[in-house]
Amino acid sequence: MAANIKDYYAVLGVKRGASDDEIKKAYRKLARKFHPDLNPGDKSAEDQFKQLQEAYDVLSNAEDRKLYDQYGDNWRAVKAGAGPPPPGWERAERSGSGPRAGGFDFNDFDFGRFSSSGGGEGFDIFEELFGGARGRGPHRGRGRDVEAELELSLEEAHRGGRRTLQMQAAENTIEVNIPAGVRDGSTIRLAGQGGGGTNGSEPGDLYLHIRLRPHPVFTVSGDDLEMELSIAPWEAVLGANVEVPTIDGKVELKVPAGAKAGQRLRLRGQGLNKRNGGRGDEYVRLKVVVPKEVSAEERRLYEELKRVSRFNPRS
Amino acid sequence: MWAADFDLDEPLTCDVVAAIVGARRSLVVRLVQQGLIEKVDTESDELLVPRRAVVRIRRMQRLRRDLGVNFAGAAVILDLVGRIEQLNRELEWRRK
Repeated sequence: MAANIKDYYAVLGVKRGASDDEIKKAYRKLARKFHPDLNPGDKSAEDQFKQLQEAYDVLSNAEDRKLYDQYGDNWRAVKAGAGPPPPGWERAERSGSGPRAGGFDFNDFDFGRFSSSGGGEGFDIFEELFGGARGRGPHRGRGRDVEAELELSLEEAHRGGRRTLQMQAAENTIEVNIPAGVRDGSTIRLAGQGGGGTNGSEPGDLYLHIRLRPHPVFTVSGDDLEMELSIAPWEAVLGANVEVPTIDGKVELKVPAGAKAGQRLRLRGQGLNKRNGGRGDEYVRLKVVVPKEVSAEERRLYEELKRVSRFNPRS
Repeated sequence: MWAADFDLDEPLTCDVVAAIVGARRSLVVRLVQQGLIEKVDTESDELLVPRRAVVRIRRMQRLRRDLGVNFAGAAVILDLVGRIEQLNRELEWRRK
């Protein structure tokens, strides 16, 4: 089957006679826009970047570019040793109808996977630092590592559990064990679940980056949780036992008499599960709130309090 | 069903990390010394980094290769992208 002919020059937005420098500049400019590491989770940017990468791989290599200029989309077949296409190939291809001249279709060749941003792990760029032989052996043809995001609630991250994921580009689902105690920014590696390798070589890995949804009650600080608790002025003065939420349910908290606004009370061991056992703490920050409206009786009592109290908050 | 490897906090020697990312040990050490990747606090004399550093180094390698930025620049980019992602998530959550 004939594939769509790719115009690598158009992909990079340069003229056919563009210099190496112009090609490099065009690539860098577009790469800044579409690079997957700058657009995490954006599939269309990733696809754009793959095309860009493919175009640049070809046009930045003098030999490949020459073949591409001469044979168009069939250049890989020629390079792979199939020899130049038979006479009339160009006319047949451009006519877009009927069998190719001599029944020969270069697009029937399987050239395997193109190199892409994730594949090869940047081996080429490090030659200057690491020497030319670095990484060329066992990693050759290894599938690309794939990165994806997995959004979890705070409760899911705390308790862990199993999640079934449907991968976009694959028909299979993957069941993932979420370990209790993962955090925002944690990464889970699923060995061998990335892109397939070429010629039977090992597949890449799947890296799942954990993102925690903001929680309506708690903010997270390391292993600890923090929440704000509103209390009445008299609870602050007299102390009180109040119910407060924890990640595992409600517990009773003793607010000491004379509590101050902004004071943090610790609930030891009520924070998040840690990866290696143990738990963080929960901190309850007190906020003294006053009623918006007061009844006549309340007002009378406040006025009585004002009369008898010797407390001067500004002294 | 596939077995998951969750051990990204596992401390690795710089030699092992270097082998995984296809770099020299000296590069990994330099990245740690410059604060571009985290290290594991340990009483051991040996410099250890968590396995998660592999992901960061690979991203830095890609940014270096594809955009021509140096490692320090790549680290700043990754940190800023992370902050933008975090802010976007918060914004999304507030909109809901």
